[in-house]
Amino acid sequence: MSFSEFIIGNLTRIWELTGFYNATWQHLVMLLVGLFFIFLAIKKNFEPMLLVPIGFGMLIGNVPFNTGAGLEIGIYEQGSVLNILYNGVSAGWYPPLIFLGIGAMTDFSALIANPKLMLIGAAAQFGVFGAYMIATAIGFMPDQAAAIAIIGGADGPTAIFLSSKLAPNLMGAIAVSAYLYMALVPLIQPPIMRLLTTKKERVIRMKPARAVSQNEKIIFPIVGMLLTCFVVPSALPLLGMLFFGNLLRECGVTTRLAKTASNALTDIVTILLGMTVGASTQATTFLTKETIFIFFLGFMAFIIASTSGVLFVKLFNLLLPKSKKINPLIGNAGVSAVPMSARISNNLGLEYDPSNYLLMHAMGPNVSGVIGSAVAAGVLLGFLA
Amino acid sequence: MKKLFITLLVVIAGCSVAMAQSRGGLRINEVMVVNDSSVVDDYGERHAWIELYNSTFGPLEISSVYLTTDSLQPKMYPVPLGDVNTKIPKRQHVIFWADGQPDKGTFHTNLHLVPGQDNWIGIYDANGKTLIDEVLVPASLLPNTSYARCDDGIQNEENPAAAWEVRDGSPEKYITPSSNNVIRDTNSRVDLFHDLDKSGVALTIMAMSIVFSALLTLCICFWIISRIGNMVLRRNKMKSQNISPAEVAIKDQPEHDSGEVIAAIAMALRDHLEAHDTEQTVLTINKIKKAYSPWSSKIYNMREIPGRK
Repeated sequence: MSFSEFIIGNLTRIWELTGFYNATWQHLVMLLVGLFFIFLAIKKNFEPMLLVPIGFGMLIGNVPFNTGAGLEIGIYEQGSVLNILYNGVSAGWYPPLIFLGIGAMTDFSALIANPKLMLIGAAAQFGVFGAYMIATAIGFMPDQAAAIAIIGGADGPTAIFLSSKLAPNLMGAIAVSAYLYMALVPLIQPPIMRLLTTKKERVIRMKPARAVSQNEKIIFPIVGMLLTCFVVPSALPLLGMLFFGNLLRECGVTTRLAKTASNALTDIVTILLGMTVGASTQATTFLTKETIFIFFLGFMAFIIASTSGVLFVKLFNLLLPKSKKINPLIGNAGVSAVPMSARISNNLGLEYDPSNYLLMHAMGPNVSGVIGSAVAAGVLLGFLA
Repeated sequence: MKKLFITLLVVIAGCSVAMAQSRGGLRINEVMVVNDSSVVDDYGERHAWIELYNSTFGPLEISSVYLTTDSLQPKMYPVPLGDVNTKIPKRQHVIFWADGQPDKGTFHTNLHLVPGQDNWIGIYDANGKTLIDEVLVPASLLPNTSYARCDDGIQNEENPAAAWEVRDGSPEKYITPSSNNVIRDTNSRVDLFHDLDKSGVALTIMAMSIVFSALLTLCICFWIISRIGNMVLRRNKMKSQNISPAEVAIKDQPEHDSGEVIAAIAMALRDHLEAHDTEQTVLTINKIKKAYSPWSSKIYNMREIPGRK
């Protein structure tokens, strides 16, 4: 081998390792999708905490490289750095940590003060099962249909947790779909809410919630965890951590732990979760017919969930005395997506009555939606795992 | 007395944790008494074998448990310590050779299975007293046939023998040393839902009922708790302020307790009457932003100066 051949051979090898050499149109599409997510997050302020890590993760995961070169850099290559970080997603331990943080951040007072609002969170779970029925009709197997349908719970960690157990091959698309629709909740929900309510209903004023004692706040996570997990033990990782986080917050003697869980820990896990979920959407596995179906089913799940939440409140109002009527604009908040959907209830309520603040009332079904979606995931896991 | 009670509780809790970590999930899963054509050991020889199965969903360390063929001698063969292979992964198997040659390695035992007669096999826990599992292999078992559980690790409490069957190596009754007795290529529950509930209506009804009942239970529970809380609160108020139940009811109206109303009244007083206490502060409902981390907080990281209390 001459010296010039040696130089050319090495340069050729380097060229063959570059992204330019290995790029396909699928990679470019996924890179554009990643850039679009980052645009939505930065310019439109759509769930930036989620869409920035996911969008950038998509860029990381879709830089083309020679998979046969043994570089051990891809997220699916065992032992690579990304693969180690991805373990939290594939083994399903990031979502419970996020739930710990959610529990430590969430004030359940609105729910404790008005426990009947919990039923709205339960009703909104019909979005999950409505989407399940559509998915089975399209031809998905029950386990895959369930993993897709949980997008309707509007709860990213729950969707990742369930799909990692029931359909790991679809997890990337499911997670991206769940987070994307959560970010698009301000666009999806208001038209449905307007369509299903009358002007008279939109200005219903609800009584201010009663003050909740510290003891009740402490009892809630303990009793809540025991009751819900006795009914659905398969939801233990999610609900156990959610209520544990809430006990740290409310017991008054673990302020440091609650602050860490709700700030530093949640931030760290959100970064890792978002980035690795984004990176897992590699062009070869992501751009498939199933992904299109998943996005369609996710959209349907959100619509059904929002619809069922609002309709349930209207139905419930028929049974309530006039003084205790519930504003149906808080029905959409049953679809988890904390606190975005509660904010939408509030904003829409203010549009029709500038002094009718629905935020605290909407937080009740909103947090019960979190519990409800975790229970729904546990039920599906119990049936199909 | 109180300390003694707490210590007792801790001891009981510790014992229960220790019990939870016992080897109760270990099962005898398949046995072959006469092996002329089945699996060979590391030396290329055929012997009678006993397959053990970890029926739990976590790894199981089985060193120091005892294998025996005589209930009067429970400590016949102790599984040696220090071999990494005695840690059985979840839902996996190991084979012990009943060749009477324990000097050949961890999995070669001093047990003998006798053809033509009933062979009782037992596993005892490390204390040599707790029987973990047992099986009576029938004398009628033919050479090169195995006596296996119909389904891995599954027991029949009422009739233990009903959980077992003879396997002759035919396609229907395959012999599976070191492998699952039942080979599944699909999830049977998923298949069942796919076959019997094509539309998903049954799952939807069942699941929605469970979700509703879980949250309804929570709802009822907290309705009761809030009622009890209110009752206790009223009783305490009546006692401390020496007032009648009717007066307590008036004071307990939600408007009196609502933070929003109190804030609104305070703001109105501040704006219109300039009526406030000596503090010259302005009421605000803006969120205070602080770059704070508990890791950098002196309050939490500095050791408190000891003092007499």
